[in-house]
Amino acid sequence: MLNKVKISSRQFTILTTLFTIGSAILVVPSGIAALAKQDAWIAALAGLAAGVIIISMHILLAKQHPGKTLVEMLDTLLGKWLGRTVALVFIATLFLCGPSAVLNILSNFLTTQMMPETPIQSLNILFAVIVLMGVYLGIETFSRSAELIFPWIALLYIAFIVLVSFDVKPTNLLPVLENGMRPIWPAALSFVCTAFLPNIILLMIIPSVDNRRNEAGRALLIGGIIGSVVTIVIITITIMVFGPEFTARSMYPTYALARKISIGNFLQRLEAIMATIWFISLYFRMTIYMYAISIALAQIFNLKEYRPLVLPLGMLLVVMSVIVYPNITYQNSWDTRTWIPYTLVIGFILPLLMLCLSGFRNLNKQG
Amino acid sequence: MIRRASCILLILVLIVSLTGCWSRHELNELAIAVGAGVDKKGDKYRLSIQVVDPGEVASKRGGTAASPVTLFTAEAETIFEAARKMTRTAPRKIYFSHLRMFVIDEALAKEGIGPVLDFLSRDHEFRTDFYIVVTKGSKAEEVLKIMTPLEDIPSNKLYFSLESSEKNWSPSLTVTLDELIQNFTLKGKQPVLTGLMITGNKKLGKTKRNIENIETYSRLQYSGLAAFKGDKLQGWLNDNQSRGYNYILGLVQGSVGHVPCDGEGKVVTEIIRTKTNMKGRIHQGQPAIDISVNIEGNVAEVSCRDLDLTKQSTLTEIEKKSEQKIKGFIESVIGKMQKEFKVDIFGFGEAIRRAHPAAWKSMKEDWEERYFPELPVTIKVDFKIRRLGTVSNSFLNELEE
Repeated sequence: MLNKVKISSRQFTILTTLFTIGSAILVVPSGIAALAKQDAWIAALAGLAAGVIIISMHILLAKQHPGKTLVEMLDTLLGKWLGRTVALVFIATLFLCGPSAVLNILSNFLTTQMMPETPIQSLNILFAVIVLMGVYLGIETFSRSAELIFPWIALLYIAFIVLVSFDVKPTNLLPVLENGMRPIWPAALSFVCTAFLPNIILLMIIPSVDNRRNEAGRALLIGGIIGSVVTIVIITITIMVFGPEFTARSMYPTYALARKISIGNFLQRLEAIMATIWFISLYFRMTIYMYAISIALAQIFNLKEYRPLVLPLGMLLVVMSVIVYPNITYQNSWDTRTWIPYTLVIGFILPLLMLCLSGFRNLNKQG
Repeated sequence: MIRRASCILLILVLIVSLTGCWSRHELNELAIAVGAGVDKKGDKYRLSIQVVDPGEVASKRGGTAASPVTLFTAEAETIFEAARKMTRTAPRKIYFSHLRMFVIDEALAKEGIGPVLDFLSRDHEFRTDFYIVVTKGSKAEEVLKIMTPLEDIPSNKLYFSLESSEKNWSPSLTVTLDELIQNFTLKGKQPVLTGLMITGNKKLGKTKRNIENIETYSRLQYSGLAAFKGDKLQGWLNDNQSRGYNYILGLVQGSVGHVPCDGEGKVVTEIIRTKTNMKGRIHQGQPAIDISVNIEGNVAEVSCRDLDLTKQSTLTEIEKKSEQKIKGFIESVIGKMQKEFKVDIFGFGEAIRRAHPAAWKSMKEDWEERYFPELPVTIKVDFKIRRLGTVSNSFLNELEE
């Protein structure tokens, strides 16, 4: 069913970019500034370097198994039963901490900053309906809409950066490396875990990319780099405007940054417009998650169509998004204690093992 | 059947999409707060909110006799409770997003303003773009009761007059919430806030009569900066010291100052641009600060005879005198802080931290007790006169006595 659908490598780059920006643009500056203070940008750059290596690993894996999704790769490498069990565990857990968590972050943001009296369920249902619509219509449709929306996002983002840059104080970045390199590493790790490791799920849709010119892998890499550079710029600007302490204390520093815009007392109060940036990036992150998860489940259970799965998954999504974190403090500690090891397992150790296995097989074949 | 089912589904979906109206706040249901003030009364905070009456502001044709703003007050043990308690007197819900000024009472500032500010940073309705000031010699509530000419809304008057006095006169300073909180968290820089006082007759100032006359009975006036240690008010700087402070931090965007001539009279220079460099260094194990201030100005007024502005040497002399004078402001404020208050409002500690993070670590704990009062500060002021205005020599030179 997948082989029929094709998206261009440019569309795939855009999808990857939006997926990487995803929730990172909203939550990462605060977390990374709490760990690395004013050196957060160095940590993020270190994270970018590590991310390039990790993405290259994902690409290598995809190249060794052309035309196959992650589930099918596991199938060939581990055999039908073991492979599908691993895939099921992977997909089920990812469903909980991927799309459900993203939807939770979004509705938390909305109820904290914009609509405090609106019940979280109605926001979630409304957003989930659009996500499910995208998933149901298929990858070609939402790739095209991503391609259409992307220039606007880019425009808003650039406007955001330019308008905020009037308030920057570069001295907030000093002193560089005040506490040495030690606090950099955990911060870099948390950056990699939010911005790069979940990208393993993109291996579920990479067979749909038109790969006649061998560009799918490059799209994965470039999209990841653009997405994380966008995030790094936001991190740096936030710290330059607010200083590390306020950034770390702020729940949504990017939104606080948008509130800061005031040019000549008339170009101001743009935060709701700027929030469009992350509504759209969160939308695509969620849609890609849900699409990949539906496809994966369909393949695990040998279904011909993934579409019947979409609605039940969506219902689960709405329910899970409300109960996945009991409160925001739990979420913060979960982000640092559980998310990091979890993504390391699925985004780093799993592909590493798979690479070793396929290398081993190739050796066996040759021998 | 399918048609009917899909119709019902569509209706359900449409109902969900009405959630957009859930948190709606229509303009006619809101009381838009433009100014807020906090006083302390016993154990309780007294919160006063200046709310706009949109009908009075919008009416171009004179309006009624009603005041364009109204004041609500409530007392409670915490700020948020006081804000909500206000609904007992206010007909509408107070909406804080358009707040311009937040006024803190002097007595409260001496006890500590930290507990008041947490609510402002936590509640989602507050932006960070309003200015925070401290009253000097009066209560915050009284300040919000004064009627102002020209600007109908007194809080707007305060907002614009603080902005323009920072730009053109320079002993005042706009401070927003995020800047203030950032200064609380830095070990090597203590916050300052601009002081606000009521001049004239406070009683008449509260009435509409205040703006019916050409000369108002009572005015709101900014006067100097308040130095804080942590969140507690330590003391006041006078105008010249406040100006010195702004020179040290490079915050002067424009100002005016005079120097005496050789004979009688004065030369006034208008400062159009300043740039300050503050550098921390460690000299023989002890911290030291270098400040260099670069100023550009124009001659703006001459009231002395026999001043030959066409000669380069005259200009050099005015430059020298101005440099001395500004250096005097700077030295006076540093001296006051080092000897009297022992509060590092200049960020000297931060300058050391930026330059020598390792050395700073050993100093930061007793920075203000031990290092700051003894800190040697080298001040270099460079004043450049660029233009003379629309005339060269003053006609006063030709005027016969």
